[in-house]
Amino acid sequence: MMVTEEEIEQVTKLMKIDVHDHKEFIDKVHAMIDYFDILDSAGVEDEEILMLDVPLSSLRDDKHIQYQDKLIEKLKHYKGTYVRAPKMM
Amino acid sequence: MHQVKNGDISVEEFTAKTIERIRQLDDSIHAFLHVNSDAIEQAKVIDKKIKSGEKVGDCFGMPISIKDNICIKDTKTTCASKMLQDFVAPYDATVISRLKQQDAIFVGKVNLDEFAMGLTTEFSAYGPTHNPWNVDYVPGGSSGGSAASVSAFECVASLGSDTGGSVRNPASFCGVVGFKPTYGLISRFGLISYANSIEQIGPITRTVKDTAFMLNIVSGHDSNDDTTVDNPQDYLSGIDAGIEGKKIGIIQEMVGDGIDPAVLSATKNAVTKLEGLGATCEDAHLEMVKYSVAAYYTITATEAGSNLARYDNLLYGYDLPVEGYEFNSYISKARTKFGPEVTRRMILGGFVPSAGHAGRYFLKALKVKQKLTREIEHLFKKYDYLIAPTVPILPFKFGEKIDDPIALFLVDINTVTANLTGKPAISVPFELSNGLPIGMQILANSNEDKSVLQAAHALESTVKLPEVPI
Amino acid sequence: MTKIGLEIHSQLTNLESKLFCSCKANYREYAPNTNICPICMGLPGSLPRINKKAIEKATMIALALNCSTPEKIAFFRKNYFYPDLPKNFQITQLNIYGDTSVGGPGHIIIGDKKIRITRVQLEEDPGRLIYEGSSSKNQITLVDYNRAGTPLVEIVTEPDFENPKQVREFLNILSNLLENLGVSDPSLDGAMRADANVSIEGGNKVEIKNIGSFHDLEKAVHFEITRQESLHSRNIPIPQETRHWDDKRKITISARSKEEELDYRYFLEGDIPWIRMEKDILDMLKKEMPESISSKKERYISKYGIPAQVADVLSSDKFYSDLFEASHNEKNAKEIANIITTDLMGLVDTREKRELSKFTSVHLRDLADAIQSGMITRNSAKNALPEIVKTGKDLSRIIADLDLGNMSDEFELSKIVDEVVSEESEAVKQAKSNPQTVNYLVGKVMQKTKGKADPKITMTLLKKKLE
Repeated sequence: MMVTEEEIEQVTKLMKIDVHDHKEFIDKVHAMIDYFDILDSAGVEDEEILMLDVPLSSLRDDKHIQYQDKLIEKLKHYKGTYVRAPKMM
Repeated sequence: MHQVKNGDISVEEFTAKTIERIRQLDDSIHAFLHVNSDAIEQAKVIDKKIKSGEKVGDCFGMPISIKDNICIKDTKTTCASKMLQDFVAPYDATVISRLKQQDAIFVGKVNLDEFAMGLTTEFSAYGPTHNPWNVDYVPGGSSGGSAASVSAFECVASLGSDTGGSVRNPASFCGVVGFKPTYGLISRFGLISYANSIEQIGPITRTVKDTAFMLNIVSGHDSNDDTTVDNPQDYLSGIDAGIEGKKIGIIQEMVGDGIDPAVLSATKNAVTKLEGLGATCEDAHLEMVKYSVAAYYTITATEAGSNLARYDNLLYGYDLPVEGYEFNSYISKARTKFGPEVTRRMILGGFVPSAGHAGRYFLKALKVKQKLTREIEHLFKKYDYLIAPTVPILPFKFGEKIDDPIALFLVDINTVTANLTGKPAISVPFELSNGLPIGMQILANSNEDKSVLQAAHALESTVKLPEVPI
Repeated sequence: MTKIGLEIHSQLTNLESKLFCSCKANYREYAPNTNICPICMGLPGSLPRINKKAIEKATMIALALNCSTPEKIAFFRKNYFYPDLPKNFQITQLNIYGDTSVGGPGHIIIGDKKIRITRVQLEEDPGRLIYEGSSSKNQITLVDYNRAGTPLVEIVTEPDFENPKQVREFLNILSNLLENLGVSDPSLDGAMRADANVSIEGGNKVEIKNIGSFHDLEKAVHFEITRQESLHSRNIPIPQETRHWDDKRKITISARSKEEELDYRYFLEGDIPWIRMEKDILDMLKKEMPESISSKKERYISKYGIPAQVADVLSSDKFYSDLFEASHNEKNAKEIANIITTDLMGLVDTREKRELSKFTSVHLRDLADAIQSGMITRNSAKNALPEIVKTGKDLSRIIADLDLGNMSDEFELSKIVDEVVSEESEAVKQAKSNPQTVNYLVGKVMQKTKGKADPKITMTLLKKKLE
């Protein structure tokens, strides 16, 4: 399956990845995706997707426990205890 | 370690010797990203405990290295990435707190492929680790630092993580034991996720017994990880039970095209030895193995694309002021710190589960995973164990495969099955070829981890490798 | 025909802890970023630990909306970058591998209209962004993650509404239902939010996002229909698009097309195993479900003969119906319903007033008993209420303090009746031919006694005088 430069460009935007040399990446990503085409011949269309499950009763009880450390002091913070983000468009 | 327990030497002396060895060797091996400068002080505390007759934990100050994607409180945890060059973990992973309780000493954080994506440790942002058997060769990966540090006697044991073979592959390349447990046996709390639905923390040690010892400490249900299973076991007791009367299947799809003749002949020798121990071996088939690597990379890229999305540099990371940027441009700029392999996987991870392509790639990959699981469980009705070489080829030199992603894909073909199906699998050092180790892999059904260790111990008892030449 | 569909987001405000960690669910009283932990901040290595009760409460909502409940519940990741999302994905639910959200298809009846519910899902709320700075050039974005990870239930309806009035009726019923279930307090700021989709005959579907309250939701829908009809009448096509609700200007604004192209790459959240809904827990939840509002109303009417309108008010507000349930018996039920819906309501009609109120069900029962035994008049009861609400004192104390005791002394009363008869000679004349006028005179007696005169005795005395 052909992957176009536009498609890669779109995906890099989606994933917030700045790629300067698209060409180099396209070649490698292209080779990888080409390899994935083998999945078409696996004959698994009818397979059901099943996952491990646990009973509801085993889950965490609804209790408030204050986190001990002043976590925000270990993270980047600004104007007291806020976190600063870049401006939004 | 026996000398420490017998009181012949103190924990402090032993720790100092270990640190000294790291200082001597690590210029050429480069297993360590960070050496614990408090190790000696911690050793003194344990010595005091011993002297005063206080109860001392089972590790007795055992020096352990930790893959740098597992969090130790107040210690840098970089995932061998520039993106996390300044990240200091504010908490201990569950495996770390359990080892601390048993008086282990963490001598340092060890190298890996960036975010565990790779199988040579060449993708570390801080330079590759070298194979102690021959420093011109890769140590395998992604837990290359773990395997090399154990192999080079820079520590007694290490914890790595295994997403598609990342514990077993470097264990095989470095001639040590590497174990990927049943999914859920070891808590992942504090392990920085790459592909969380299939990965497990696993011990890397010099002997199967040491692996059982480590497992006794780090395994078991953890309320911080809802995917852990509750299956309490003593992995050491009965480890020498042997394999007499056991039935073993040799996975044909893992000894076929592209296998190195030396690896094939080692496999045949292993079969002979297993039969000599009283087991019966025959050929077995897992048709889906052919598709397993494609499924594996599709699933891991998808999960990695999501797991690594949090690295936007807003809460932690490195210094890059937000002034002058708009949100999207800032995040994209910040994320240029990812290395080329991570960047490629991010692009794949945006592509294969996207609305237009999910049906073709991601959904099919999940279905291959499902069918492979059905196939292997069917085999385990007949066989106690399945075996195959851990890696179908011998360790290779630096730069040999790094530029060919598909060639690298195929190195994974024998290891990803255990991850996709959640089954336990161990790599045991078995032979040398031209001075480079070959590991043999044993798999069993879910929750048969103890049985895997028994078989591995039996196989190990037939092997005597020379000392690592470093 | 106009079609309106809703996505209602309701916080489960009555839980103790967040959806995936033990931080406080009620984030409102915290200084910025002090109600956080490695899990809700999505720090590397942290894993979600799901709150059992959140699933139970969300399931109760699904049951109340007549939704199917699945055998197994699964969670998914919705991937997109935004500064209020610490992990840059949101853990939510979806029904792409069979029905695995807490509630499958269901319905709710409003009047004689059936509104189909598509699904009920449980998800995490993001943090909050605060914008500072005057222009977009020097704008600063501050983030407070105290809300991040708090439990949110999303109720998705089919596009079954035809007009804003139906939307309003639905929202009234829904917010009463959520309150009645004890899962959420809809009056809390930000507890209820919504998205809507609106299309008119011959036009494309338009999504409206970011509606911050039920009040604004109705407005937004109304605005959007008007906007679309205006375009349509001028033969301007209505494009399919996403619009944002501007809550300051009360209009919808077209969102940039970039946002519409977002590809969320939904896939299973592997850190949360699928959750088996055990039958005994489901049975227990069904048993624990509070009586529905409509069934309460029906019971109030048929068992106690309470008028339909009064029963409606009483049953749909949990605060009132809880008071009623705690205080009534067969004998005083009607009296109590009456006190609540005529006299008490104005005193405790807002969240703030309710929080300050010291009024209890014991006061209510005492009041009804006092009225029925003739100890005080209805009028005095009404006069006593503000004082009880304010001070919480016993009724007997209030009666003494305010001198509200019933005036039933015939000698005392007849003096007052005499006064009234002499002052109101015109009315007295009329009363002989028109019995209605007697009531006017009773009222005058009441005025003079500040409502304490026993109405029966007053009437007898008056009638005697008029003969």
